[in-house]
Amino acid sequence: MGLGTVVAQTIVNGLMVGMIYVLMAIGFTLVFGIMRIVNFAHGEFYMIGAFVFAIVFDSLGVPVAVSILAAVIVVGLSGVVVERAIFRPFTGDELNGMIASLGLALILQNGALLVLGPSPRSVPAIVDGTVSMAGLVFSLSRMTVIGVGAVAILALYLLVVHTQFGRAMRAVAQDPEIALVQGIRPERVYPIAFALGVALAALAGALMAPVLSVSPFIGLTPTLKAFIVVVIGGLGSIPGAVLGGLLLGLIESAAGTFLSAVVADIAQFVIVIAVVLLRPWGLLGKKEREA
Amino acid sequence: MLEVSGIGVTYGATRAVTNVSLTVDRGAIVSLIGSNGAGKTTTLKAIIGLARNQRGEIRLDGRRIDHLAAPERVGLGLALSPEGRRVFPQMSVLDNLLVGAYLRRDGRGAHADLERIFAYFPRLRERREQVAGSLSGGEQQMLAIGRALMAKPQFLLLDEPSLGLAPIIVDEIERIIREINTDMKVAIVLVEQNANLALRLSDHAYVLEMGSTTLDGTGAELLASDYVRRAYLGV
Ligand SMILES: Nc1ncnc2c1ncn2[C@@H]1O[C@H](COP(=O)(O)OP(=O)(O)OP(=O)(O)O)[C@@H](O)[C@H]1O
Ligand SMILES: [Mg+2]
Repeated sequence: MGLGTVVAQTIVNGLMVGMIYVLMAIGFTLVFGIMRIVNFAHGEFYMIGAFVFAIVFDSLGVPVAVSILAAVIVVGLSGVVVERAIFRPFTGDELNGMIASLGLALILQNGALLVLGPSPRSVPAIVDGTVSMAGLVFSLSRMTVIGVGAVAILALYLLVVHTQFGRAMRAVAQDPEIALVQGIRPERVYPIAFALGVALAALAGALMAPVLSVSPFIGLTPTLKAFIVVVIGGLGSIPGAVLGGLLLGLIESAAGTFLSAVVADIAQFVIVIAVVLLRPWGLLGKKEREA
Repeated sequence: MLEVSGIGVTYGATRAVTNVSLTVDRGAIVSLIGSNGAGKTTTLKAIIGLARNQRGEIRLDGRRIDHLAAPERVGLGLALSPEGRRVFPQMSVLDNLLVGAYLRRDGRGAHADLERIFAYFPRLRERREQVAGSLSGGEQQMLAIGRALMAKPQFLLLDEPSLGLAPIIVDEIERIIREINTDMKVAIVLVEQNANLALRLSDHAYVLEMGSTTLDGTGAELLASDYVRRAYLGV
């Protein structure tokens, strides 16, 4: 294998992992920005998305696109219920909302353990084969993850920037009281925003299920990564989440290929510490924000 | 017709409004003058539904609205340009205006109103893609008024639109309030510490002191009143 191929594959791997981080971080930051909930259970929705995908795609033999959609929809709908039942009572109460999310994470993880058992299950690749471009060979399944992730992020971007619902979400995030006098009912915005956030986590989980294996414990790492990305990119910033996620994925991948996995782990914390010291509001975050 | 009868509003232990009554006919300009902390903002918040009146009644065309949430009152034809402008700072000027039309289903009418607002405030058109937080104070005030107008209100509540603005901008805002009132046939409830401006503009005015409406009359009557001249006009 030539150096060119190694470099290209490192980049593809980095973008794939980065795309997953972006999906996780956008959902996380969206929920925080709009509802002021630090959702420690975010990764559990990734885990549920991965399980739904594994069962529908692998056990039931449903086509891959429908299986991904099933994971996204099941988790999105459960997000509506979770927002209403668990987070609504803590509106405007960041600390207790955070504690509630920790409780939810425990319940979801142990629930999955009870129902699905502890042993990891592997899921077959969604597509086989490779593509060749410019004399370099890429794995088709990894390119698919990158492509599907990019489409989802673009769709979310268009929703947030170009629709009235997107404006309503931003208005509630920036000034909830004044959003009310535009005629926006936060109680209608919250469940949809939360559902969107966890649906993105489910998409990440479904896309990663064939790459890693699926077990009740897989949610923790992506939650941590979402935290890291959001610190790098800036809390509440969607472009920041995209930049931070891709950056983190690429750096991890490069350090892992050319140095070692340990260096890759150290590298991400060095970046976090550097950002916190030099630009505590994140690369694309807003400097001042009211408490 | 908007009728406020004997409302009282308390925030915890603070009594912000004790006894406020006022009437606003369709198409009228009514102002509410009073010094710092008199309860002007709280009165507007009670009318739009951002504060709850524990006492009294608020009616719109005879129908009680004081149990309704703010978004529902906006749907019935009330809009607020809040104290301190409160534009959405990270949204563009255009998005601020569009979000003002959130409850409207007549896309074409909303588009026509957008053009009309850009005609009133050409600077907003020039800066339509700029984020609202980067505008000057006067421009933000224009945006706050424009955003409220995008709801196509019957009653527009304006909380201190002249505060902190240069005299030349205040003149412009005065002119535009008049134009909005005549062109769009929208009634205006104007809260001002600048009593001179408010009384010049209004058909009817109320004086608010320590949470209660104590005096009212036409703008001209209050401008001529010795008490008002001494207490609010500094002459
Ligand atoms: N959210 C609140 N919580 C507690 N007290 C409040 C609150 N808002 C207003 N108050 C109090 O209620 C009283 C009336 O306030 P309000 O803001 O209505 O006055 P105002 O006439 O608008 O004054 P200004 O000219 O300074 O804007 C004041 O004593 C104020 O301190
Ligand atoms: Mg006030």
